Amino acid sequence: MIDFDHVTRTYGPRTAVADLSLSIPRGELFALLGPNGAGKTTTIRMLVGLLHPSRGAIRVCGHDLVSNPRAAHLHIGYVPDEPCLYDKLTGREFLWFIADMFGMPRHLAGARIDREIEHFELGEFADDLAERYSLGMKQRLVFAASLLHDPDVLVLDEPMVGLDPRSVRIVKDLLAARTREGMTVFMSTHTLAMAEEMADRVGIMVRGQLRFLGTLAELREQMTLETTTLEQMYLELTAPRGTAS
Amino acid sequence: MNGWAASRRAGAAGALRLLLPEEEGRLFLRLRATLTWETVRAMFMQARLRLGLVVLLSAMFWGSLFGMFLEAFSFLDALHADVTSLLFNAFFSSLMVMLVFSAGILLYGGMYCSTEARLLLTLPIRAETIYAHKFGEAMWFACWGFVLLGSPMLVAYGVVREAAWPYFLLLLPFMASFAVIPAALGGICCMVLVAWMTRLRLHAVSIAITACCIAALGLGWTLVSPLRIDAMSAAWFERTFARLAVTEQKLFPSWWLSSGLLEAARTERDGSLSGAGLVEALKFLALLVANAMMLHLVAGWLARVAYRRGFSQLAGEVPARRRRPLGWFDRALMNAGSASGRPLRLLLVKDLRLFRRDVSQWSQFVIFFGLMGLYFFNLRSFNYNNAYASMIGFLNVAVVGLILSTFTTRFVYPMISLEGRRFWIIGLLPVHRDQIVWSKFLFSLLGGVIPCCGLVLLSDSMLGISWPLILQHELCCLMLCLGLSGIAVGLGARMPDLRESSPSKIASGFGGTLSLVVSSLFIMSVVIVAAIPAHAGSVSLLLSARGGAAAPAGGFLAWAAGPWGTAAFLAAMVALGLTATFVPLLLGLRAFRRLEV
Repeated sequence: MIDFDHVTRTYGPRTAVADLSLSIPRGELFALLGPNGAGKTTTIRMLVGLLHPSRGAIRVCGHDLVSNPRAAHLHIGYVPDEPCLYDKLTGREFLWFIADMFGMPRHLAGARIDREIEHFELGEFADDLAERYSLGMKQRLVFAASLLHDPDVLVLDEPMVGLDPRSVRIVKDLLAARTREGMTVFMSTHTLAMAEEMADRVGIMVRGQLRFLGTLAELREQMTLETTTLEQMYLELTAPRGTAS
Repeated sequence: MNGWAASRRAGAAGALRLLLPEEEGRLFLRLRATLTWETVRAMFMQARLRLGLVVLLSAMFWGSLFGMFLEAFSFLDALHADVTSLLFNAFFSSLMVMLVFSAGILLYGGMYCSTEARLLLTLPIRAETIYAHKFGEAMWFACWGFVLLGSPMLVAYGVVREAAWPYFLLLLPFMASFAVIPAALGGICCMVLVAWMTRLRLHAVSIAITACCIAALGLGWTLVSPLRIDAMSAAWFERTFARLAVTEQKLFPSWWLSSGLLEAARTERDGSLSGAGLVEALKFLALLVANAMMLHLVAGWLARVAYRRGFSQLAGEVPARRRRPLGWFDRALMNAGSASGRPLRLLLVKDLRLFRRDVSQWSQFVIFFGLMGLYFFNLRSFNYNNAYASMIGFLNVAVVGLILSTFTTRFVYPMISLEGRRFWIIGLLPVHRDQIVWSKFLFSLLGGVIPCCGLVLLSDSMLGISWPLILQHELCCLMLCLGLSGIAVGLGARMPDLRESSPSKIASGFGGTLSLVVSSLFIMSVVIVAAIPAHAGSVSLLLSARGGAAAPAGGFLAWAAGPWGTAAFLAAMVALGLTATFVPLLLGLRAFRRLEV
């Protein structure tokens, strides 16, 4: 579903992502972890086509993000770290706009908008202008919009920021259900507990390089430490040089 | 299988598809219409005062310009009918250059720096559609000034030349097709610079703007510098027109526009519609439309090739390490004075730093006051008698005040509201709330007094005004700076908008509009009161020359022109200034002390 093929991205002299090669199959929930400035957001922005790799290629469902971005976008749903909405559109109007952009027939779009409004409990404020929404409400609406076209790949950048515990539960249940049905989820997060609870595989990125890639069991095996929680292993892996125990 | 899986099957069966270009275009049109409708509706519901003021002031501005152009064209029609073409060319060519820059800058902001662009680039839509959407937005913002300035001029020309109805009908298509050309050029330059010259873009834009400014200054200088003695004479006109002829290039769209409009306004000797003129006008319109469409197509193609690449390039830029050339000044300000005043000075330095680092603030400040300085500097090119010079001097004081009021409303008024959002920092510091308000007032006052008093001094020197009158103008300017700062800070503290994070939105709310209205009224009152003694003598002489019934008024004016009258009016002006400073400030201080966040 998602293929990173020797992807490097530089910002001037600084390398944000270095030679990243990664394949994520259908139905997997992949969590990308790492400290601030590790290159997670750059990786996600390349995955959704906002940034082009300096070297290498990224493919989603076989479509190259640089040479064929529209075909790739048809398969992607994206929840950015900062929700972007039109202040002067209501939640429902925004969902219609997104559905239309994906070329959905009216009857199907209507049904899916109702479905997502119900899933994310947006009914109460779906017809209010987005400028009146709180951060959590905006985030729920963006989630709903990203799932409208039933994407094959869902890309989440810090998805739980601003969500209340009930909304977090809704999102978690939804992600679990949809990955079971075959949707691939690529998620960047600082919430280790969520990664531990939900991720099939995790990648730990440090200074642009993938320091670890695998399941939690593999991580424990590789660390050969007495540590058991993801938090402890994460801290060990991402500790600045010279401070690791 | 659950609903999602079933729905996925429906999707796989062809529910999703890439849109055709015209479908994308229609979607964005619908989006634009909805957003516009909601914005207008919100203005009707929440900002009637502002909307009413905008409409009223625009109508007044349009009417004044129309009247002025009507007079000017009547004069030119009688004396120099053949120069209209030259004036049109000069006007439209300079407008064309400005439109290239303004559309380019607006498109840069809309396409590369907005959150909307980040959203749209992750959807399965064409880059050229996003460009077209943003181009429409930039056209609207870049061209409303053109329409507001150009339409009264062109309508007045048609009225003076007694043009037939097709002229008026063709005005809009002519203006619209013309405006697309520089705007598309601006868009093309913007995309090329960002995609292929990312690192050079700031230098390239700076060099281009500087070159245009130097060219404009050079042209302006050659027009006025050697002609001080015979200004407005026949020789002056001849030499001026000879120098403006540089704008009459037949490859310039401005020439096509001017020629087309002149042809459209042409009439037969009996005043009927000239068929030949109309045909020529339509040819020029076709030329404009064809070029506009061609450039739009080129820009669309360029967007397809370069937009996504440019967006990615720009995001990969490494910001330059911030230098602190004025750090010594901040340190000196922080350490100057007593320890008890240090918190106030710290707040002042913080605001100063924020101002310096916000390009949108200081660049507008520099542009407006710089242009005004340029205008004042050129005042000496004309000869005036004393009364006329004094009147222009007062008008200049008023203009300086009006520009300062736009800054105090746009930048100073929202400061307290924005501080309110950071109240969790400021509120926990050992700083009295009054000091926050006073620091804003001092910031505004010091920021206003220095450039405004300097400009008024420059204006008066160029006009050759006497020292007593210069002092009077400076006192008037000081009162304006005090009062405008008091109004903006006081009302800002009295009516803070703590939910809004955008200063422009705070300034355009009810409180901001009220601040602008009160500021304008205050400026008019202060300048009129200050100007009465200086001009009462001349008016008194005028009235006595007319004699009879005007005698009592003449007596009052003679008193007003005398030393006691002058002192009384100056005292009234100072009283007005201090009232406008302290009444809103005290109201604001009281409200801010009670503010609960």
